[in-house]
Amino acid sequence: MASYIREFNEIEKPKDYYEGLIEGIEKLNGTYDAFNVINKSARTGFLFSTKANICVKGFETDAGSKMLKGYVPPFNATVADRMLAKKDFSFIGVTNMDEFGFGTFGINTEIPAKNAFDSEYVAGGSSSGSAVATAMIKYHVSVAESTGGSIAAPAALNGVVGFTPTYGSVSRYGLIDYANSLDKIGVMARSSEDARIVFDRIRGRDDYDTTCSVEKISSEKKSRIFVMDSMLSKADQKVRGAFERLLDRLSRDYSVEHVDSATMEKAIAPYYIIAMAEASTNLAKYTGYKYGAMSQDFYKQYNEFFTDAREGFGIEAKRRILLGTFIRSESVKDKYYAKALAIRSMIMHEMDRLLKDGYILSPTLPITAPKIADARKLSPVENYAMDLFTIPPNLGGFPHISFPYDYIDGMPLGAQLVTGHGNDYAILDFVKEWESSFNYTYKHNLGEL
Amino acid sequence: MKIGLEVHVALPTKTKLFCSCSMEAAEPNSCICPICMGFPGSKPMLNKAAVESALGIANALHCSIKKEMSFVRKVYFYPDLPKSYQITQMEGSIGSGGYLEIGDKRVRIRRVQIEEDPAQLIRDGALTLIDFNRSGTPLVEIVTEPDISSEEEMRSFIGSLRSILYYLGVDINKEIKADVNISVAETRVEVKNVTGIKSMIESLRFEIERQTEAIRNGEEIAKETRGYNEKARSTQTLREKESDEEYGYIFESDLTVFGTEGLKFNLPVYANEVAKELAKGTDVSSRTVSEIIMLDRDSLAQINRLRGRHGLRSIIHGIERYKKYGSMERMPDRVLDSIVLLIDNGKEVPKEAITDLESGKDAKVEYSELSEEQLDKLINEYVAGNPELINEYMKQPKTVNFIIENIARPNGLHPKVVARRLMPILNRIAESR
Repeated sequence: MASYIREFNEIEKPKDYYEGLIEGIEKLNGTYDAFNVINKSARTGFLFSTKANICVKGFETDAGSKMLKGYVPPFNATVADRMLAKKDFSFIGVTNMDEFGFGTFGINTEIPAKNAFDSEYVAGGSSSGSAVATAMIKYHVSVAESTGGSIAAPAALNGVVGFTPTYGSVSRYGLIDYANSLDKIGVMARSSEDARIVFDRIRGRDDYDTTCSVEKISSEKKSRIFVMDSMLSKADQKVRGAFERLLDRLSRDYSVEHVDSATMEKAIAPYYIIAMAEASTNLAKYTGYKYGAMSQDFYKQYNEFFTDAREGFGIEAKRRILLGTFIRSESVKDKYYAKALAIRSMIMHEMDRLLKDGYILSPTLPITAPKIADARKLSPVENYAMDLFTIPPNLGGFPHISFPYDYIDGMPLGAQLVTGHGNDYAILDFVKEWESSFNYTYKHNLGEL
Repeated sequence: MKIGLEVHVALPTKTKLFCSCSMEAAEPNSCICPICMGFPGSKPMLNKAAVESALGIANALHCSIKKEMSFVRKVYFYPDLPKSYQITQMEGSIGSGGYLEIGDKRVRIRRVQIEEDPAQLIRDGALTLIDFNRSGTPLVEIVTEPDISSEEEMRSFIGSLRSILYYLGVDINKEIKADVNISVAETRVEVKNVTGIKSMIESLRFEIERQTEAIRNGEEIAKETRGYNEKARSTQTLREKESDEEYGYIFESDLTVFGTEGLKFNLPVYANEVAKELAKGTDVSSRTVSEIIMLDRDSLAQINRLRGRHGLRSIIHGIERYKKYGSMERMPDRVLDSIVLLIDNGKEVPKEAITDLESGKDAKVEYSELSEEQLDKLINEYVAGNPELINEYMKQPKTVNFIIENIARPNGLHPKVVARRLMPILNRIAESR
């Protein structure tokens, strides 16, 4: 197995291949809720899905929110345009997600996606459906999005590859914003090579996104791997044990070095401050009179109208709007927002220095997948703490990839490898090399030929 | 007294500030797209022409120019604002720390910032309709320090600003919108959204009187925002404010920072200074020149073109004659040349002469100008000396043209001028017969 895309193109497909596959997807989706929308007319090429915050013309794109129920975008996101530019990829549907990307487990939405290995367990978030769909269907990739770990976390919990490229290498035009300075479109796939094929297809300059300016991608192989001991100590014992075994295996080919970071483990607070501040401005546009869930009663005073129209946000979205608005207020701005920006730049600086010499490796999540019922009991702060490892590279816009490396009690574990800006190919190469000696396990293989 | 202004000016670009929608006036909601409607997923694309235009203004107002400018989001909920935030500038403003000279005084310019205009609200009974055509129109906001201290100074400031903007290709006659901040004593009162120069002056006058009256009566002036009612010519309380509004400004990370180096922009023309230069050593006051060229680049160009050949007084006189009687927006060189030449030769230039010159009939004709008495005398002498021609005319009225020509040509008079006085005389003769 190197590339499912290449393999698929070489194999003869039965005549009613797509009909059968779509039927299978619909059936399985009844249990796992990976897809919000399934495109039953897909008939050519390799299937791809998109997270529900990436606009695909003509398909309901609700970003997991009641506020956008029924919203069908009148235009394609740049990534959708590029995927559909030739007939070699076919759009199979819109995938489930935490409302506006707010979540680590995929449960902050009306009907959460379920883990592809066991439907009692969380799928991970916020690109929950993209990961589950990738774990469900053999010949399929998903275009997903990460703000603070939303690709890596669900990819790890569903045993697939989750690749988040350098900030600014893939256009965000048509991506429904969570936090503009952090949002990155990336790929979930069953192999590193497939992730690379899709990455090359969607990346590159776009006039419609000013921040999309990274054109050159390198493949500078590093021989050193840095592990942050103090951060690792916060992972649970099972995860730590498995990760130590991974390090043992890697130490044959790489120099594994244990280092400490003064700033990286402090990344959670500044991340949430910046993300919430930006999110509270991005969510201001949902006012019930232009698109999505429309107000029925227009005979109201403005303040009353806006208050009523914005009732439809979920609890986590409301929390982030309120906190984000507070953070932006004049009296506390310097205390939180300005400080968060300063810490962000310190973290970026420190990581940048470290990543010149080697990769940073960690478990993707500090725990194994919890049951949905247990995850619901976590407090917001306990939830945010789950992003310990995924936040630093996201905060700095560094490319990172989560790849499956072990299975505990039948559930997959993911590790996260980080490299410097623009060196995206290097970590894709690293995972490709890893895949040559690692056996992926899947519970479902829909569309298998 | 302290007066400060926040002046909003629409920039003359073909397309909007962040998308490629046309700015041509059209049916409501016909020039719109996902970007200026703030649809989910859309992102702003900065219009370079708008930046260049704003750069010209910041430069003309002696601002220091940010090498890397940036934008912020100003968040508030109102139906005219599709994203519920306006993209504008604060610390990253394109220009800051400038000034504008009015007479011997400098009015300091705090900031020149680029921002997008919201949509237009149209009241329709109990409902409000929204026209998004205006949404995303590029604006420049010019913020002054409170350095203006009288109505006269404000007039002068607006006049100079208007002239500077005019020469940069920005016409603010109707488009200008301003917030006027007035403190007669200590407390600052803001009159928001005043449209047009006339209303700006009137709202200021009203506020000065209102605040002065209040002070005289020992009343306290409230720190507040007021609105100006054009019909009533007065201001009314909109909202009292103890502290400044909370807009939750945040860096607009969709636009990152934008480098301004290497951008092209127009250089300013300061009409007052140019007028002083032109009037130097002539018998014309710089004020007269200034009045002519303030809002008229065509006149300035003509003065510069003719300056070496003619006296300034003749040129200005010629321009004034043409402005009064000519028909073209831009003065044709050839016509103005003839007019100024006539004036230089001590001739008056009547309307008829300009009409003839314009239709290209006989550009070199120089018409004498006689008083009515002189003209009547001339005509009466001719009529008395040519009875056979008069008799002919009585039989065949169209021969009148021959008589007119015979009087006009040898005397260097315009035929129409002759005709105007000749006809009553001929009529009187006809009646007496």
